[in-house]
Amino acid sequence: MSELPVLLGLLFVAVAATATVLVRDPVRQSFLLSVLGLALALLFLLLHAPDVALSQLAVGSALTPLMVLLSVRKVRRRARDERREEQA
Amino acid sequence: MSRRVRAWVLVLGGLGFAALFAAACAGLPHFGGDLHPYGDRAVRAALLRHTANAVASVNFDQRAFDTLGEESILFGAVLGTVVLLRQTRDENRRPPAPAPVAAPVRRYARLALPVTLLIGLYIVAHGQLSPGGGFQGGVVVATALHLLYIAVDYRALERIRPVGLYEVGDAAGEAAYLLVGTGALVAGAAFLANVLPYGTFNTLSSGGTVPVLNAAIGVEVACGVVVLLARFLDQAVEIEDPPADAPEGAAK
Amino acid sequence: MNGWTAAGTALLVCGALPAGWGVATGPVRRRVVAQNAMTTLLSLVFLLLAQGFVRTAYQDTALVLAVLGPAGTLLYVRLLADRLAAGPPLSRPLSAVTPLNYVAVAVVVVPLAVVTDPGRALVKLLVIGVLLVLGSGVAGRAVAVAVDAGHGPRGHI
Repeated sequence: MSELPVLLGLLFVAVAATATVLVRDPVRQSFLLSVLGLALALLFLLLHAPDVALSQLAVGSALTPLMVLLSVRKVRRRARDERREEQA
Repeated sequence: MSRRVRAWVLVLGGLGFAALFAAACAGLPHFGGDLHPYGDRAVRAALLRHTANAVASVNFDQRAFDTLGEESILFGAVLGTVVLLRQTRDENRRPPAPAPVAAPVRRYARLALPVTLLIGLYIVAHGQLSPGGGFQGGVVVATALHLLYIAVDYRALERIRPVGLYEVGDAAGEAAYLLVGTGALVAGAAFLANVLPYGTFNTLSSGGTVPVLNAAIGVEVACGVVVLLARFLDQAVEIEDPPADAPEGAAK
Repeated sequence: MNGWTAAGTALLVCGALPAGWGVATGPVRRRVVAQNAMTTLLSLVFLLLAQGFVRTAYQDTALVLAVLGPAGTLLYVRLLADRLAAGPPLSRPLSAVTPLNYVAVAVVVVPLAVVTDPGRALVKLLVIGVLLVLGSGVAGRAVAVAVDAGHGPRGHI
């Protein structure tokens, strides 16, 4: 019974990580990546590693999604510009 | 060596590694057990040096050289991004149109920015006492600045973000770490040895070089992340691609 | 496992995990709302675990999440504004998420504040509570404004 939280944390990480790999659309993936980040932070805290949990939270909750979404925006804009040129 | 022989060498190496790795894993202390040979020694050494957070003592004192390697990886990664995402000669800049942001969001950002900044600095400064340290706090500080982009406007961020200064800060943080290590050499000890007075246990000034190195890492990480995001933002928001019919060599 | 850890586990199973499912599936506006709920609830789980493990230093994880979680949500709202505006208006269950967050914060922070001795830990706890309420409220408001942008009198922006 005392191992239940750790087991839940491990299961949560395994499911979130697998789902993140399986989803192909980058925007949806960025949402799953943030879930995975939170799951990992939870697991680290349950294993009494708050330093690592803090690192994971700092990187995973705003920085990684920002970089992914900015990259998506750049790629989208390029695709839109090319389409516009074809129509012209 | 033919393909076949190489494959065999790979299989042999892989099997050997798997066998040794499995044997090593069998010798590990059991998960959740009471026996922690490394942990006990690390904690004892941390307490001897008046560092309340044993993890910080391992990272910035007992194994400070490893952390130098990690810091350099981040530094190199930021440098690589700066080179890859630079503005090429045929790319144009267009100032982005201001984005509409709801008034409560803007008010929240104005309140949250200083609070987040303070929390980041707190995490850096208390690295030797409680969980956290230069890396975690540095990222929080950098994220705090980007609240201006997220919740106010890109131009508001640009105003407080002279990228050149942050590039200097990034390099200065990296250099400060090396200089602290070299300072130990000058004092007659080994590179990165903890030569400063250890101070009173569980106070801000305890831990000798640990808070100094934490501060160096904090500056490096905060500035590095700002520079990194600046390149991403420039590419995503301002820089436009060259026209498709541009000559191939123009990008160089 | 003591009562606080059990409460944290219960909040995880009944609150944070369903919110995680909401982030992982469905239309973008539901994902953004669920993302905010998940960071809020997980921050509360961290607080309960810190109390359960008798480690006040673990509060710092909740503190960091309380400021970075809303930043993450606002970021999604900002960069996915076109997708949020393209969908239908917020459904009633989605609009109820922010008040639910408030309730969860109150239910967790008030008992913790009662058992915490006056001092730095108590101040930190209250600051986390205030930050969670503010962050959750603003994030919910931002999503609502972004979704309404496609329907309101101002039309498309």
